[in-house]
Amino acid sequence: MSAVEIDELTKRYGDVTAVSELSLSVDRGEVFGFLGPNGAGKSTTINVLLGFLDPTAGAVSVLETDVTRDPQSAKSRVGLLPEAFEPVPNLTGREHVAAAVETKGADDDPDALLDRVGLAPEDARRPADDYSTGMFQRMALAVALVGDPDLLVLDEPSAGLDPNGVQLVRAIVREEADRGAAVFFSSHILDEVERVSDRVGILQNGELTAVNSVENLRDDLGMGSVVSATVDAIPDLDPLRGVDGVTDVAADGSTVRVACAAPGAKMVALRRLDDHATVEDVTIEESSLEDLFEAYTAEGPETEAAAEIGADDGDARPATAGGERV
Amino acid sequence: MSTATVARTDFRSIRRSYAVVGVGVVFAALAALVFLGSSEVHPHPVRTTFGLSALVAWALPLVLAPLSYLAIAGDRARGTITYHLGLPTSRAAYFRGKYLTRAAVAAGATLLGVAVAFAVALATYEHAPDPGRFLSLGALSTAFALAMVGVFVAISASVASRSRAMVGVVGAYFLLSAFWVGPLPVLNLGTALDAVAALPGVGVSDSARALIGSLSPAGAYFNLLPELVWAGSPGEYAALEQFADRPDYLGYEPWVNALVLAAWTVGAPLVGYLRFRSAELG
Repeated sequence: MSAVEIDELTKRYGDVTAVSELSLSVDRGEVFGFLGPNGAGKSTTINVLLGFLDPTAGAVSVLETDVTRDPQSAKSRVGLLPEAFEPVPNLTGREHVAAAVETKGADDDPDALLDRVGLAPEDARRPADDYSTGMFQRMALAVALVGDPDLLVLDEPSAGLDPNGVQLVRAIVREEADRGAAVFFSSHILDEVERVSDRVGILQNGELTAVNSVENLRDDLGMGSVVSATVDAIPDLDPLRGVDGVTDVAADGSTVRVACAAPGAKMVALRRLDDHATVEDVTIEESSLEDLFEAYTAEGPETEAAAEIGADDGDARPATAGGERV
Repeated sequence: MSTATVARTDFRSIRRSYAVVGVGVVFAALAALVFLGSSEVHPHPVRTTFGLSALVAWALPLVLAPLSYLAIAGDRARGTITYHLGLPTSRAAYFRGKYLTRAAVAAGATLLGVAVAFAVALATYEHAPDPGRFLSLGALSTAFALAMVGVFVAISASVASRSRAMVGVVGAYFLLSAFWVGPLPVLNLGTALDAVAALPGVGVSDSARALIGSLSPAGAYFNLLPELVWAGSPGEYAALEQFADRPDYLGYEPWVNALVLAAWTVGAPLVGYLRFRSAELG
């Protein structure tokens, strides 16, 4: 069952198209990471989801409710952590949460919610204007969690948080998903997205360029991993290039780097290398979501570039554009 | 968030900023000063209500403007509106809550000022103040304050930035109060109508002037004072008696002026809400 259903959403501001024919769906219990460079249209999409903006074209439903017709009904089951907002002046963190509890008609204990997000009781009773960014994000997360929402919309939830806070957000997101809530969140911390998301959508210039699990996107782009093996002497590398799933092989000093698009190619390539030289050490570098992000959001020719292994750092580079592009 | 929750949250916020106390104290102090300053000049307090009414028309909106202009525009500029509207709060409930808070503070400050004026008059004037006249003055002044706050909140709801809200509110004050029934000798509605009347082939009759003069909240307020507060006043004060034999123009009719005040009080917030309802908040 879909928690979010976006169909051919277009949003224009005058001559500027912020979002163009965007279609995606997020299921209940799913964690969906929404990625894109600044100005890609992420916040616009979220603002349409919440009824803050009207779509120019297309349909948007949240929890089976058309948000353009009945935003109130949808919002009663949604928890929102907006990006870059300031608190109500002179109100404590606890009062922000208590007002949200009252509004939603929930029976949550504000203190328990604030404790869950790690905001100390003495801080919860101070004006939120005085909070650090991290404390404010924790309070905003507590507000979003009020009423056990069926959909959590988190816009940059980890902004300003220390590593413990980032970890806490990750844990809460997983707990909420396990409870059955859908989580739709945008973040610039790609490592966080990779760790917690079931699927990611990558937005570029208002268009969804890819949507899939990180693993599938990696496979689709042929950006699997790079096996770096330290050997006693560099052997003939042609046998390695013949291994099915190996996309590139290079040598640098006593290190052989083998780019593998398919997961099964790693061990085959390593055994073949061991047949021709003594392997003294091995490391495997998975291509990161950052690499995928760069591949999908790079302009023009870079997106089409063939996979190659960097001579300097050995990172896996964007492979041939062949991932699941929308 | 229901209207009550928005209003309660908003009131708590502005109360802690001392805006509520500030508005109340400033206007009450001004009202007290007006009455204290005239206690030795006019034996009857009703004469000083003439000066107090000028204070209401020209100074009270300036006291209320800082309280009102950021009511909604401030939330939009700070992004705080996403906290309110990210919860199941309709735009109507949010607008109502914001308006109610500002309106309540405006009404409270106005009534406090008139009450303080009454107390000062009671303590320092040769003749005791007439409670009925002060009640009428309080009610009429409150109606005027509500009309102006409605205009200010409507402007706040119609724009997305602090600067536009400030310019809009100051402009509205200048047009509807200082210009329309203002103390400026060279720049007011009268001089503007004189300029129009000086054009070839254009004439502005006195009755038309009276009607146009009644169309702002301040104009309607001043037109209602002679009937509701000063009629049959004791003493022989020229300032009050000048209204006794006004021509029978439509613009001086109490019902017309009451209608004008009501139209501003209801119409301005309604227009502001309609603009806010369709605003792009993002």
